[in-house]
Amino acid sequence: MRIKTEAILADLDCSMASKRKQGILKRKLAPEAPGGMGPGDRAVSRGSKQSSSKTAGRQDVEEDSDDDQSSSENEAVEDASASADSDEEEEEEEVEEGAESDGSSDGEAGSDSGSEDGDSDTNEATQSGVQSDGRLQTEEDIKRELSTMSFEDIMALQSKVGRKMYNEVAYGAKSKAAHERKKRLNKNRPTEISAKRPAPFLRQVVHVKKSVLRDPRFDDLSGEYKPEIFEQTYGFIQDLKRKEMQVVQKRLRSVKSAKKKEQLELLLKRMVNQEKAHERQKMKREKELEMKRTHREMVGEGQRPFYLNKGDQRRLELAAKYGDLKRSGKLDNFLSKKRKRNAAKDRRKLPFQLKPQ
Amino acid sequence: MSSFFIKKKGNAKVSKTDEKTVAMKRKVDGDSGSKGRSKKLNSRLNEEISSDSEPESPAIKKKLRLAKLYLDQLREEEEKKAEESFETDLIAGRLQEEVLEQKGKLQRLVAKDFLPPDAADLRLLRGHKLPVTCLVISPDDKQIFSAAKDCSIIKWDVESGKKLHTIAGGRKGTEDRHVGHTAHILCMAVSSDGKYLATGDMNKLIMIWEAATCKHLYKFTGHRGPVSGLSFRKGTHDLYSASHDRSVKVWNVDENAYVETLFGHQDVITGLDCLSRECCVTAGGRDRTVRVWKIAEESQLVFHGHESSIDCIQLINEEHMITGADDGSLALWSVNRKKPLSTVKKAHGCHGDQGLEQPHWISSVAALQNTDTVASGSHNSKVQLWRCGEGYRGLHPLFSVPVAGFVNSLKFSSTGDFLVAGVGQEHRLGRWWRNKEAKNGLYIIPLKKRTNSDQEATNGE
Repeated sequence: MRIKTEAILADLDCSMASKRKQGILKRKLAPEAPGGMGPGDRAVSRGSKQSSSKTAGRQDVEEDSDDDQSSSENEAVEDASASADSDEEEEEEEVEEGAESDGSSDGEAGSDSGSEDGDSDTNEATQSGVQSDGRLQTEEDIKRELSTMSFEDIMALQSKVGRKMYNEVAYGAKSKAAHERKKRLNKNRPTEISAKRPAPFLRQVVHVKKSVLRDPRFDDLSGEYKPEIFEQTYGFIQDLKRKEMQVVQKRLRSVKSAKKKEQLELLLKRMVNQEKAHERQKMKREKELEMKRTHREMVGEGQRPFYLNKGDQRRLELAAKYGDLKRSGKLDNFLSKKRKRNAAKDRRKLPFQLKPQ
Repeated sequence: MSSFFIKKKGNAKVSKTDEKTVAMKRKVDGDSGSKGRSKKLNSRLNEEISSDSEPESPAIKKKLRLAKLYLDQLREEEEKKAEESFETDLIAGRLQEEVLEQKGKLQRLVAKDFLPPDAADLRLLRGHKLPVTCLVISPDDKQIFSAAKDCSIIKWDVESGKKLHTIAGGRKGTEDRHVGHTAHILCMAVSSDGKYLATGDMNKLIMIWEAATCKHLYKFTGHRGPVSGLSFRKGTHDLYSASHDRSVKVWNVDENAYVETLFGHQDVITGLDCLSRECCVTAGGRDRTVRVWKIAEESQLVFHGHESSIDCIQLINEEHMITGADDGSLALWSVNRKKPLSTVKKAHGCHGDQGLEQPHWISSVAALQNTDTVASGSHNSKVQLWRCGEGYRGLHPLFSVPVAGFVNSLKFSSTGDFLVAGVGQEHRLGRWWRNKEAKNGLYIIPLKKRTNSDQEATNGE
């Protein structure tokens, strides 16, 4: 008898486990179950989780019974009545199922029990108030089966499933009130959660923060680009650039190979041009600021501000430029170059016959 | 609620529920002797009880009988303690203390009375060949059980320091032949009546022994990982076990039965402790949580607050606990707050090269029950004693006792007379370091009290 029980348990263990993996048990509702257990059986009053999972298990067992019963009965040699055997198996499977939801800390079993609970809960939501008769029937059946089992089998069952669960099944489960989320009195108290749900297999023990990458060019947090503020805060970059220029000049003096010299010269030219462009931009901004300041003063004094048009502005700039060149003595150079350039341009625009061949 | 027990002349109302709960708990405890009853109190009780109109139901009668029995027991105990004729004050004081104890609010301020012991007073009990991993003191403070990495269990006599019994450890692979453990023993527990000893090892087994004779009784299988925490519920033979498979299992030792399993931890459980309530408290290692398991309601309370793996935990009274972590921080918790009431960082200092200092891991903590004294042990060759502030709001260092090696286990005696430290050359869980100068054994540290003129009778034996 004991061999048979253990064999059955072991067999069902594997079959249940494999079937669970495929998720078959969850989806099937099997209204054509032989024992006349309809979908009502699945959805039990939310009362005890164990009973709900048990009946779910029983339902599923009905489905399996076709495949499993035949094989397991072939194993057994006793000629007990078929119904007694099947009932016993089913009852053990049920409790076994409940056990697997309670007693094992296996990852998949745990997740399955969690999903089963969720499933039965959702079912309960959809189908309500059909099943109290069905449940009573199952409990009586269980008690009948337990009374016929031998003591050794009962002990084995108890050690497998746990004394507490066995007592609940054998002597009637205490229907707990609907398992609502416990409210804590104030936020300084610890959270209270159920102690019967195993941790899922894929779980984060230590949460690692994912670092967020930001591009300051496109990020609103960086704000708008303001050149004056940029100059102020990042002015040190210009100093660094000047220092690097000096370093390159020094290297240029000491370098021997012609190729390297060429490279360095180009680099130096690039750096110098960049600095000049930077300076030019700076001058431009300053001039604009000056204009704005004068305008403000004029407005302040009461006169009407006058605005130069583009042509006048350009002429003013040109005049300033000539002034600078004169001061530095490069005016002749500049003017001759300009004359040559203009001549070349004009020569291009001469009519075809007059062009020199 | 405690108005019944405090002497007030005009107080004739019997608060039945309190008397019942207290009586029921006391009856279950059963460690007080029996004694006679005060005539005054008796007459007062009788008046008050007869004044009620419904003592006919058997349940109420039984509770009344139990309450009277409880008071009888208290009376006898008090008489034993005080030679002269006692007063009702003592009973009242004692009852009040019991009530506070059950509520978890009892805190006897004894820390300031302790004196640091001299080095010569420390006794070292040698006998284990490999580092000691855990120890327990029997409830009558006369024997100590200790286990080591060689899988042996030794029962010592405290007074003489002699070995009373040795349960040898077996080699790996001899599980079926050998009576005893064949893998490192990680935790031990002794029941509050001194009858059973439970030990858990890394082979996922829990062995039950008879404490008096060290006879092997039963073996509990069922855990799927090394058993890392064991504790008996006071006054019962319910055993709670925690394991590296992240589950807490409840067992009944009288009937050799497995009762149920509780889940919730996300990582290995490193320690478990329990007092007389049907609640136990566990330290989860890397998931940095402390969980209080309410077994009757099948729910758990989750506490956060440590920054690193929690390695050890002990209950000070029903509502407060102390934990130690591997970043050297000690935390004092209350069941009512989700964060610790007080933390001490790097409680045992740091070690290592310049610029690469790492704090010493706290390998064990101990608490003297219902007082404000706790002790912590690490491997900086000191056992540090701390004083908890009023209402457990702070942790202040008291003094330290020099003990070389890894202090793998610490236990206070039930009366606070001595502290036992199980010391080894290596940490109890692994071999990260080895301290060759240390000696494997048990240090018995006597804790002397300052002589006070107003020393209460409830302190000491």
